[in-house]
Amino acid sequence: MTLLPTGRARIDELRMVGITKRFPGVLANDGVDFDVRAGEIHALLGENGAGKSTLMRQLYGLYKPDAGEIRLNGAARRFNSPSDAIHAGIGMIHQHFMLVPALTVAENVALGLASSRGPLLDLDRVSKRIEELGERYHLKVQPDAQVWQLSVGEQQRVEILKALYRGAALLALDEPTAVLTPQEVGEFFKVLRRMAEDGHALIFISHKLHEVIDISHRVTVMRDGKVVATHPTAGSTRERLAGEMVGRPILLEYDKPPVPAAAANEVPRLEVEDLHVRGDRGRDALRGVSLSIRSGEILGIAGVSGNGQRELAEALTGLRRVTRGRVRVNGRDLTHATPQQRIAAGQSAIPEERMKDGVVRDFSVSENLILQDHGHAPYSRAGFLNTRAITRDCAALVKDYSVKTPALETPTKNLSGGNIQKLILARELARKPTLLICAQPTRGVDIGASEYIHQRLLEQRQRGMATLLISEDLDELMALSDRIAVMYEGRLMAVLDRADATPAKLGLLMAGVAA
Amino acid sequence: MNELFTVPVLLGILYSGVRLATPYLYAALGEMFAQRSGVVNLGVDGIMLMGAFAAFFVVSNTGNLLLGVLAAMLVGLLMGLIMSFVSVNLQAEQGISGIGLYLFGLGLSSLLFKKLSVSTRAIEGFPALPIPVLSDLPEIGDVFFKHNILVYIAFALVPVAAFVLNHTTLGLKVRAAGMKPEAADSLGVSVARVRYLCVTFGSMMAGLAGASLSIGLINLFQENMTSGLGFIAVALVYFGGWTPLGVMIGALLFSMVNALQLWVQVKAIPIPSDLAVMLPYILTIAALVLGRRARQPAALSKPFSRGEN
Amino acid sequence: MKLNRIGAGALLAVGLLLAACGTPTPAPAAPAATAKPAAKQVKVAVVMPSASNDGAFSQSMYDALKAVQASMGGEAAMKIAVSEGMVQVPNAVAAIRDYAQQGYDLVIAHGTQYGNSLTEIAKDFPNTAFAWGTATDTFAAAGVKNVFAYNPRAQEGGYVLGVLAAKMSKSGVIGVCGPVEAGDAKTYVDGFKKGVMDTKKDAKINVTYTGSFSDVSLMAAAAETHTKAGADILTGSSQSVVGAIGVAKDKKAIWFGTQANQTSLAPDTVGASQVYDWTGVIKEMLDLSAKGTKGGKAFELSLQSGGLKIVYNDKVSIPADAKAAADAAIKGIIDGTIKPLP
Repeated sequence: MTLLPTGRARIDELRMVGITKRFPGVLANDGVDFDVRAGEIHALLGENGAGKSTLMRQLYGLYKPDAGEIRLNGAARRFNSPSDAIHAGIGMIHQHFMLVPALTVAENVALGLASSRGPLLDLDRVSKRIEELGERYHLKVQPDAQVWQLSVGEQQRVEILKALYRGAALLALDEPTAVLTPQEVGEFFKVLRRMAEDGHALIFISHKLHEVIDISHRVTVMRDGKVVATHPTAGSTRERLAGEMVGRPILLEYDKPPVPAAAANEVPRLEVEDLHVRGDRGRDALRGVSLSIRSGEILGIAGVSGNGQRELAEALTGLRRVTRGRVRVNGRDLTHATPQQRIAAGQSAIPEERMKDGVVRDFSVSENLILQDHGHAPYSRAGFLNTRAITRDCAALVKDYSVKTPALETPTKNLSGGNIQKLILARELARKPTLLICAQPTRGVDIGASEYIHQRLLEQRQRGMATLLISEDLDELMALSDRIAVMYEGRLMAVLDRADATPAKLGLLMAGVAA
Repeated sequence: MNELFTVPVLLGILYSGVRLATPYLYAALGEMFAQRSGVVNLGVDGIMLMGAFAAFFVVSNTGNLLLGVLAAMLVGLLMGLIMSFVSVNLQAEQGISGIGLYLFGLGLSSLLFKKLSVSTRAIEGFPALPIPVLSDLPEIGDVFFKHNILVYIAFALVPVAAFVLNHTTLGLKVRAAGMKPEAADSLGVSVARVRYLCVTFGSMMAGLAGASLSIGLINLFQENMTSGLGFIAVALVYFGGWTPLGVMIGALLFSMVNALQLWVQVKAIPIPSDLAVMLPYILTIAALVLGRRARQPAALSKPFSRGEN
Repeated sequence: MKLNRIGAGALLAVGLLLAACGTPTPAPAAPAATAKPAAKQVKVAVVMPSASNDGAFSQSMYDALKAVQASMGGEAAMKIAVSEGMVQVPNAVAAIRDYAQQGYDLVIAHGTQYGNSLTEIAKDFPNTAFAWGTATDTFAAAGVKNVFAYNPRAQEGGYVLGVLAAKMSKSGVIGVCGPVEAGDAKTYVDGFKKGVMDTKKDAKINVTYTGSFSDVSLMAAAAETHTKAGADILTGSSQSVVGAIGVAKDKKAIWFGTQANQTSLAPDTVGASQVYDWTGVIKEMLDLSAKGTKGGKAFELSLQSGGLKIVYNDKVSIPADAKAAADAAIKGIIDGTIKPLP
């Protein structure tokens, strides 16, 4: 038996065979075969709802498979609860951290473990061990710090330490990079490689193609609950993986003509000068942001979430009071304008929280489509809604933007994320806006729909619309933007031309390091 | 007014405060454990009534006080199991279930009190147990060291509860289950077991709280004799910020203000009695409004399931 | 996933059911059919706010009904239905209406708080006799003819017990544990105070009200406060005084009770009780009702009528001079030379 540096036995091979899991109305896993070996990083790739998480939850004893078998080192095993899986040397890093914020790092690690002092906690000993493990795997954290005080990257380290402390020989990581900055991702990948070299088996779940290509040895692609491909990563391209995920060829990079040179007397579509606004906790969330966007231009805003992007979008859409500075749209001062006035001035918006701010969950598709325009002709006259006009135009929009909905009367909450986003896009773009404030347009949206949304945004760009694109997805920013600004602690660190913006450069700026 | 702030009156307030705080303390310490594990048990008052009845019934028939205490705790345990089953297994709305349990206890204790034709005669309850040496201290001795054993145990439980919560593996599980049950679950901690344990323990404490009334403080049973005391205990858990020390301070403060208002009347301070009676409740509401909510267990009153089926 | 609703609902339902049958006694268990009615069986129903064994207000009525039943020849001659623990007025009102509908001859609403609704019910059942207490108003002014009222002159016994207390107190401090400053609790306390002051001018009477008829533990704390303040004699009113009696027993103080004979609660502690004896009133109401007068008369329990009695406890020795003073007070109240209220 080969031992890991943590002193536990290796898992030479884990094999999941013919795993089938049904939920009411859904076949979440359909005869899935999957395996991972010691020293290997095996990526599990697929769209939301493809069945990746369900598969992993069965491995971790959270769900029981309806059919199929899990074999560890050749022997069939049955995990009825997480503690069974933990005992067998399986660890799991969940997409949403499983940490108790109000407890310390050591307490989070010690939770559920037997103590050397019987019923009494022995946090000193736990802390010492945490420091040893941290040393070996470059996972430095303060054992006595409370988790809520830690950065997201540090919290992730705690998650990995928790698994290592429990002697995990196999680690399943569910979308582990979703919350990290590019720098943190780099550090994190070093940790993963180190663990693989030591003989751990790692399952890396993601939908970020370049990360999969970067870190994994093998990749398994899932679609609609089934495995569609398993092959070595080497030699795979992003296009190939994306095609396997979606089931049809996908464009990841778009051809777009350059923005024409500015005419002498051209007025920028959006001008922001020295913008200050307060955040929810009363502190300044924006501290002097200045930018301008020309007609036919997409300005991307990069940054780790929580650096003022949300407040910027809210200030520009009239949802948050501006405390200082000026905003001009097409030359008109709209600093303190209401959302209605902004719409009238030719501005549209795609909000970050689409379920909260973008649609009314319980309204029908058509009601949501006319949400802002229901008050005037042709949709209403003298306070009465004109159902015929509404149905006619909504049907056209749903068709144009290929919103998949059973009917116009379907409650919006029953639609998938991608289709809700298309619905919002249809509503906002149908007005032919001259300026679009667009936040996280494809977050949680599958690749196929993302591609569609991107194409639509580029189409409007061709038409001359100016776009402020706030996104945490660097790939998206690089694919769409003409220029990219990086936000850090309420200020713009720099505005780069797309040609100069490399992930490395952006990453440094996002971490607050001036170029 | 000056009459009120004399040494004997202040000592009297302290003495009554300590005695009155006892049932609150048992009930609120138990409820604190339930809430720290994520379950609000609003049935405390009903469990107290059943505990009070069971203790009184057993003592008036056997004369054995220890047996009375055990009976009260057993009744608490059974009712705790009901609450656990409903809130953990059935994932029921805890507020409604708690009220149901309260009505159950209120109704059943009244019914049994009548149907079992229990004597309505005062029993010999727990006698005062002066602590040697300490009870001879001038003034203080009387106030703090001449109580019955149930009073001492209640106060001794405060540091014990704090220790269990903060320095044992079990306490860690309890805190995690109430703050982020999915995290505890992912580490192999059975959230259901932890909640069962805490709710049941809390209910046993509520039963004991009832006993401390019927065979410790009053030595009689009366229909609905708690008259909402258990609900005050639940409020004290919030008041005390979910810590044993905070709960104790709350219980003492509440009962001392109650004692104070009685002295206000005895000393014929010209305040309408209705107003004086309101004092402790005004204090409770003020404390709840002004109190910090930061430490509230994040998953309080939220049923936990893994989301399978 | 519906289980959670069912679970909460089930517990709530069981709780409600028990609360419903735990507090008010269900319809009388002994069916009237088994006993052959000699003549016509008289049916009396009573609705009261606390338990029939509360050792106070409700028990006084329950005991009286039992006594009347026994004197009339038991179950066969008189049927008694009891709804107790009717704290919620709407429930009580529903019960009163039910009894009237079921053809009870006399329906007693034993609680001041039930009065408002009674006028309407009485109008709907003109052939049923109703009784309301403690109260002095028969609603005659509102055109109602079938409601009797009954009221204890609680101050009379209060005065006599006050005289006893003043004579027996060694410390000269007397504690009064009041519930709510209203009704017969207030008149009792006022009479008691006057009794003490007329007997011993320098005595100190401390009065507390807890604001509740049912808060036993606060009542206990009140008694404790009184003893701390030096009281060696305690008294009080309402069902919540059981808490205070327990304390009195503990602190070796003497207790004077009212409403019902409280000796059984603490045989070494209770010196004497003012007992409400409703038997005379009930009998008279039944007589009148049988003759066709269904209401309109207001009864008063008094020492003179015998509806109020001072019952001593043999186990607690009362000095001869105290007893003599009490007897004198009773005489004085009956002949009108003593006014028990200020």
